[in-house]
Amino acid sequence: MLRGVDLRMAQRDVMVIIGPSGSGKSTLLRCANMLAEPTLGKVWFEGRDITDIRTNLDEVRTHIGMVFQAFNLFPHMTALRNVTLALENVLKLDGSQARERAMEQLARVGMDQKTDSYPGQLSGGQQQRVAIARALAMKPRLMLFDEVTSALDPELVGEVLEVMIRLAGEGMTMMVVTHEMGFAREVGTRMIFMDEGLVVEQGEPREMYYHPQTDRLRQFLAKVL
Amino acid sequence: MAVLETETGAGVHREAPPDTRGRSSPVSATVLGLGIAGLGLVLGGLLLIQLNYAVSDRVLTQHCIEVGLTSDITGALGVCNIVEALRAQAMTAALYGGIVLGVAGIAFGFGTYRRMDTVRRREQAVTGALLGILAVQVAVVLVVFRSGRPDLFAKHFLNFTVLSPYFIEPFLIAMKNTIILAFVGELGGIVIGLILAMLVLSKRRAARAPARVYVNFFRGTPLIWQLAAFYFLLLFGFEVRLSAFTVAMIVFALNTGAYAAEVFRAGIQSIEGGQMEAARSLGMTYGQAMRFAIFPQAVRRVIPPLMNEFVILIKDTALVIVLGLLISEHELFQWARSGVSDTFNATFYTATALGYLAITLPAIYLVNRVEKRLRSGLVGITGAGH
Repeated sequence: MLRGVDLRMAQRDVMVIIGPSGSGKSTLLRCANMLAEPTLGKVWFEGRDITDIRTNLDEVRTHIGMVFQAFNLFPHMTALRNVTLALENVLKLDGSQARERAMEQLARVGMDQKTDSYPGQLSGGQQQRVAIARALAMKPRLMLFDEVTSALDPELVGEVLEVMIRLAGEGMTMMVVTHEMGFAREVGTRMIFMDEGLVVEQGEPREMYYHPQTDRLRQFLAKVL
Repeated sequence: MAVLETETGAGVHREAPPDTRGRSSPVSATVLGLGIAGLGLVLGGLLLIQLNYAVSDRVLTQHCIEVGLTSDITGALGVCNIVEALRAQAMTAALYGGIVLGVAGIAFGFGTYRRMDTVRRREQAVTGALLGILAVQVAVVLVVFRSGRPDLFAKHFLNFTVLSPYFIEPFLIAMKNTIILAFVGELGGIVIGLILAMLVLSKRRAARAPARVYVNFFRGTPLIWQLAAFYFLLLFGFEVRLSAFTVAMIVFALNTGAYAAEVFRAGIQSIEGGQMEAARSLGMTYGQAMRFAIFPQAVRRVIPPLMNEFVILIKDTALVIVLGLLISEHELFQWARSGVSDTFNATFYTATALGYLAITLPAIYLVNRVEKRLRSGLVGITGAGH
């Protein structure tokens, strides 16, 4: 899937990754928290080589939040329980602490009124916001967003993007695979354009958007607009 | 041929579309009535006439004595009543009446259902015809049956008087033992199946392969062989002397474990991969992800198939017959077998069938209800997340 990608991210970066489907965007993102293991090459997180098999990946992942295209909330748990589950069982917070922190994060994404709802009772946009709260509650230092608005009805995309824009504004370090070109252009601090497993072009989002250097990116932008 | 107008301008002559439905028939309720009457006559007649013969004061008839149902045979009068009720003129009338009504229902129903003008009437006509078919089937079977030797059949399979010394306590104990065997087997099987499922799902071949061998062995050999083999393996091979009942429970658990493993495996694999990824991305270990995210969802999905396994196991407990149980350990089938060998009467098997049904029917009913509830998408029960 990936054929040699060399990237470096700094704190507070919002790296947006664009490209046609099958170009390796999601794979790259999943390598960042080792949900996909690279067959070759290394991944560093805060100076640690997390591709080293001696690394405690479970511990590393507590610092890297991830939000998925399909939400992947646990359908048998309420919104609140979805958020507190890992707080109690991974971070070992006691019940009231976990609850407090979860409520804080649910409020942050505007979902504090629906804490007792099951995912099946929520709209796609609401589910995705709960999923974001679930990831944020771990107090991650890096957030990965994998096409998080692609499965949403058009009128629900906005509420999720809004949350992400706010997060970026607060200085969260983010890696965002997206097809929302407006978001990529306005919120991203860096843009990566991938095709066939390679980074074809990278740079400042507006610059890339208005003045693409490669034919491949020009073609891609022409198609998505 | 009517012309369909596409323009609806003023003054355009519009012809009504042709009525392709044909004339509607008024007889739908009659057809339904015919079907119900036919079936009612046959089944109701059978029941009422049998009841009448059973409760009224009677003596052995000439016919019964001629076919060998003499008074020195236990329960001869009861058997005689069954036979005489079958031979009664009222029964003849009910059977042939039922056939006539049933045939009429079939003919009218299938002849007219296409011309009914409402769904309700059409369904009445079709239902009437179907009930007519049922009436004719039952009546014909009974006509043929009573022209044979119903006395012999009744004497050997319906002579409930011979059961009396073996009823009711030994029968209830047998039922209890059947339930214990099945229940302990199922519980043990679930535990074994869970462990096996985790092994089978391992990404490491060294963990997978032995579990596969186990599952294939127990699914690939007859349960009756497993019972016998384990009993003697323990007895001679390991010089462990366990009661046949205990060995049976162990073997049922081992066997059910193999099937339950497959059920659990399928259930766990049916949970979307994103659930595991979401759990792992939160820093949960594989075990935690299984325990909190995957397993609770999988369990709900495997309840119906596991309950089906349980129903199957209830019936399979009959196989302990190969081990020869103590009398206090007799389950339903062995209760029947020993009764039959004592009395040379097979009515015990009839009673046994009723005993199994008394256990399995509620279980089957329960499975269906649980399945329905799970399928109705109760919040947080099914994977209705997306």
